[in-house]
Amino acid sequence: MVDKTSDVRAIDKKREPRKRIAHLDYLFVAPAALFLLLFMVYPVLFNISLSLRDVTAATLLDTSQNTFVGLSNYAKVFQNPAFATTVINTLVFTFFSLVFQLGLGMALAIFYTRSFPGARYMRGLYLVAWTIPIVVSGSVFRWLLEGDAGVINYLLRTLGLIHQSIFWISNPNTALVSVIFVNIWLGLPFNLTLLIAALQGLPQEVYEAASIDGASGWQKYRFVTLPMLRPALLSIVVLGLIYTFKVFDLVFIVTGGGPLNASDVVSTLAYKMVFRDFLFGQGAAILNLLFVVLFVLSLFYIRTTQREEV
Amino acid sequence: MKTLFSLYHRGYGLSLLGLLMLAIFLFPIYWMVLTALRPSTEIFAYPPHFLPNVVDLGPIKQVLSDPKVPRYFINSAIVGLGCTVLSLLLATPAAYALAHLPLRGKSLLMLISLSSLMFPAIMIATPLFVIFSRMGLSDSYFGLIVANTTLALPFAIMVLRPFFLAIPKQLTEAAKIDGCTTWGAFWRVILPLSVTGLLTTAIFTFLIGWGDLLFAITLVNSDEVRPITAGIYANMGNNTIRWNAVMAISTVAMLPPLVLFLITQRYVVRGLTVGAVKE
Repeated sequence: MVDKTSDVRAIDKKREPRKRIAHLDYLFVAPAALFLLLFMVYPVLFNISLSLRDVTAATLLDTSQNTFVGLSNYAKVFQNPAFATTVINTLVFTFFSLVFQLGLGMALAIFYTRSFPGARYMRGLYLVAWTIPIVVSGSVFRWLLEGDAGVINYLLRTLGLIHQSIFWISNPNTALVSVIFVNIWLGLPFNLTLLIAALQGLPQEVYEAASIDGASGWQKYRFVTLPMLRPALLSIVVLGLIYTFKVFDLVFIVTGGGPLNASDVVSTLAYKMVFRDFLFGQGAAILNLLFVVLFVLSLFYIRTTQREEV
Repeated sequence: MKTLFSLYHRGYGLSLLGLLMLAIFLFPIYWMVLTALRPSTEIFAYPPHFLPNVVDLGPIKQVLSDPKVPRYFINSAIVGLGCTVLSLLLATPAAYALAHLPLRGKSLLMLISLSSLMFPAIMIATPLFVIFSRMGLSDSYFGLIVANTTLALPFAIMVLRPFFLAIPKQLTEAAKIDGCTTWGAFWRVILPLSVTGLLTTAIFTFLIGWGDLLFAITLVNSDEVRPITAGIYANMGNNTIRWNAVMAISTVAMLPPLVLFLITQRYVVRGLTVGAVKE
């Protein structure tokens, strides 16, 4: 390959070297592009096809046997009360996760960008929570939230906030709250790291100018930091939206979506439909709906970040 | 207490507060390790003992004496490293080309990479299950590595590209004038300058491969190939969960990513803010 390239170059060097080389340059991106085409784009198309057919466990591997049923899988999904529940759950989950991740993340980011001994090292260590597998943190939190011997119940009782043990995970009223709580913990380091980077990227002169004008700490934050942070905040929010919207592992390991559908989100419902109930068509329909939402959000994200770069 | 006060007066007040908040945040991890090192009687003590009064290696030994667990661990290592190697092989030339070479359709590839970052893994789980079953790749390392690479590759491209952008384009041009092909310039001049970027990307892709649960439970059905994440999940399935055993296997599963992170923390923080993402 390399030899051929140099031969071609040697011959064509004088005439039009640019054009020749440019063609071979596509070989740099070709493997990655082919891989994505085969294992990313094709699966998306496959899902669309799956959602328009009547597929059973017996016919899954042989697509020719599946009859075309139009949009009836989508109709069934919309008629399924569990779907409405999971959409609401996903929205609630996403909203509260983001509010707390950003709120706490911002407070911690402001704190850890102050210069004190160890600040840099400490804020890095928050990322420990982000590096370990979600299955691991998920099972730890199941243990912490356990009804009888869980530490969280113990703390709440000691503080006098509850009088009886709460069975967080098996109680339909608290299951969703539990997964939101765990997700806030899980997403905080990521938000914190990006917010710290954003805060450090702000020009310091503006703060000096504000100090000279006699601005207080809060005023500086409200009228200098926040407005300047807006573009970065927007992209962090959209990124958070996307990652929270597609959450799977966490809910799957902490509550399994239960009891019943009390804490199911869209992705866990789709998983159950496909891999437990073998409703491949309906599962694919749900995933396609999720895909549309995520795709729109991604385009929005790309637009915001590109504007930021310009 | 006295020392605390003197530390405070010497200007360490913020440090102490920062340390306290960090300790609260990381408490779950401490609690996991503590539980893994406790006999069953100690686990259900009420009120819970927050300090390691009895250290018992029993649960860890018990977990490791089950021959399946070391197997799971090795499987995860194979999948994690395989995902790293495959992602780097595919992503490095692509990211370089996206940063330095004048190609048509670049923005399309960028768009695909960026938007596939946002893909839920579950979306490709069913199609991959079908594709792999047809190709005879289900229940194989190769299938798992490929599946994880679909998630890791777009990410790797996004993390690597900024590193290449930071290298002046004139270097490629200069190498070419000196008689290198584009490939030669990439291999001999650019790559040696991008070691940091490659290392950062390697860490991230390994974390993706090691931490995956979804593909581990959908594309695998034998213990020979099953990664440790799926092993933990299997342990949680029972109604009576033996918490010290679950925490022991969780601790084992946490160690490689944790050690890797502690060694390479600087790169992780930088890479995260440049490329901005893991699932």
